[in-house]
Amino acid sequence: MIIVIGVSHRTAPLPVREALAFPKDQLRDALLRLRAETGAGEAMILSTCNRVELYARQDDPGAVEALESFLARYHARDGRELHAVLYRYADADAIRHAFRVAASLESMVIGEPQILGQVKEAYQAAEEAGTLGSALNALRNRSLAAAKRVRTETGIGRNAVSVSYVAVELARKIFGELKDKNVLLVGAGKMSELAAKHLVRSGGRATVLGGRTFEKAAELAAALGGKAAPLESLRDELARTDIVISGTGAPGIVIQEADVESARAARRGRHARPLFLIDIAVPRDIDPAVRRIGGVFLYDLDDLKTVAEANLRERLKESAPAEALVEREVREFLDWQKAREVVPLLNELRRRAEEIRRHELEKARRRIGPLTAEQDEAIEAATTAIVNKLLHSPTVHLKEAARESDAPEQLSLIRKLLGL
Amino acid sequence: VSSHVYLVLVLIFYAVGALHVLLQTLTRRRLLVTSWTVAATLVGFALHTAALAQRWTEAGHFPAVGLHDGASLLAWTMVLVFLIIYTRSRLEALGLAVYPMAFALVLIANLTPIAPVGDPVLKGLFLPIHTTLAFFGYAALFVAFAGGLLYLIQERELRSRAPRTFYYLIPSLERCDTLSARAVEAGFALLTLAIITGLLWSHTVHGRYWTSSPKEWSAVVAWSLYVVLILARQRTGWGGRRAALLGIAAFTAVAFTFVWMNVFALPVAARTP
Repeated sequence: MIIVIGVSHRTAPLPVREALAFPKDQLRDALLRLRAETGAGEAMILSTCNRVELYARQDDPGAVEALESFLARYHARDGRELHAVLYRYADADAIRHAFRVAASLESMVIGEPQILGQVKEAYQAAEEAGTLGSALNALRNRSLAAAKRVRTETGIGRNAVSVSYVAVELARKIFGELKDKNVLLVGAGKMSELAAKHLVRSGGRATVLGGRTFEKAAELAAALGGKAAPLESLRDELARTDIVISGTGAPGIVIQEADVESARAARRGRHARPLFLIDIAVPRDIDPAVRRIGGVFLYDLDDLKTVAEANLRERLKESAPAEALVEREVREFLDWQKAREVVPLLNELRRRAEEIRRHELEKARRRIGPLTAEQDEAIEAATTAIVNKLLHSPTVHLKEAARESDAPEQLSLIRKLLGL
Repeated sequence: VSSHVYLVLVLIFYAVGALHVLLQTLTRRRLLVTSWTVAATLVGFALHTAALAQRWTEAGHFPAVGLHDGASLLAWTMVLVFLIIYTRSRLEALGLAVYPMAFALVLIANLTPIAPVGDPVLKGLFLPIHTTLAFFGYAALFVAFAGGLLYLIQERELRSRAPRTFYYLIPSLERCDTLSARAVEAGFALLTLAIITGLLWSHTVHGRYWTSSPKEWSAVVAWSLYVVLILARQRTGWGGRRAALLGIAAFTAVAFTFVWMNVFALPVAARTP
């Protein structure tokens, strides 16, 4: 039986999650202690900033309590307090939870991609610590495969929900391919750097404008594989560029309407390509009046957030197909798991039948006396066929019975009937 | 089986694609074109081809005269052009324009009677050659028109800074613009050939190249607007919004040519090609 206990952003505030987190370097030790102290056959710990979860395979009735008290003991917390914020799942519920977490259906930002990597690492750590057995390993393979299907087959992770990615996606909606598009950075802040990195990775060419702190601009330009230029060349650079990311700390407007107008006029002769301006500065760097100019798209921080929110709503709409897909995968896994439970019984049945066949065959041979090779082959074949035909229907029935809810009772009855 | 029966079936199969596009847009889902709508379209298109072949034998001339045949043939060329573009570039958003248009045209064909014509003018090779060129030109220019519309809608979405359905459904401005530009080039070439064959046809019938009919004027106006559009794009790097608007304006002249030829000029059609 697989069980899960844990806390997440839904059940516990950040301070509690922090207190319960398992740092990476302590994970191995914690896994070994968990197995030793709770008597779990297998164990895995998933610890991210939004959730801390203990996974275990254990068949004792008090398994959940054992895990709870381990978690409290490990972090020196009060057991009763902890009990109030924990969720506990066993069996099918635990498996469903594991699938949902990996597929990012339980994430704070639904569809976010990081969780898949974090789950992978958690299983990896358990494997390295030697606490991963066949049950959790099967869960790992199936839940990760399901998570990948969710990502590729549903739109749950399709639209960007972070501001810097939204900027890149908007650029794609305007320019299509970003290859060889010129990106102009005005000011070198953290967020503009992040957005510029995404753009450069998509094939954009960066130019960084620096004011008083030109060294910082040169440094950033080097990191982005682009060039740096002084702030005075703004108009020339504007005429050459496709995408502008402005994020200076300046108190007033840095890019005036006249700057953009002159840039448009300079390039009108050759190309009417659009100009995409991203203003992530607060207070704003770019005069909002530039929106009046044709072919100019200006997005400020609030606009990017609006798009991110719209994208998130789109994702939530895609969550229904994703939920259905995960549910199908969970059911398949449960069926598979149950079918596996009858394998030992089937093997035993087959072994017993074969034993009886050999025994009776020997007895018969002794009575009949020597046989020709053909005759010997014939009775060998006949007895094998009898066994196979007799066992065929019970084998099929057992595999089917395993999927039903009263499988344990049915299986014990079959055991009794067959004297196994 | 008569061509009427085929045409009803065609309408049903095209309705699948049209309804799917409509429902996906209304429910704000993403898949405008799926494998089963493509399958339905292909079946519809095969039946449509059979319907046209049937009409050709029934009429004894190329089925392009009058509203019934004209609408049907135009829908057929549009679906063919759409299928070609879709297989090459998976441009689903084009379905937003083509599916409803093809459905509407086949519906019109179903609702209108067959034009009673039996003029010897329609017997020669000019009718199939001239109308095939013209109709494929119309289809290409419709794609250009649709590309322009999609561009304007996407531009409005981007300018609004609050994305709604079409932001997600329509590809990038660049892609709409490129689609429009390519389609105008192809459509213009076909239109030019159609006008030349039309003039030659007129000469063999009337002894005159130019008869000053409204459809001749509108064809020439459309042709001139496309010349301006293509030159502007090539020489000055024109594109985007202005190209989209001019493409839409030019297409109204094309639409007028078609409507005049196949609706109003019907009684005269037999006499003046």
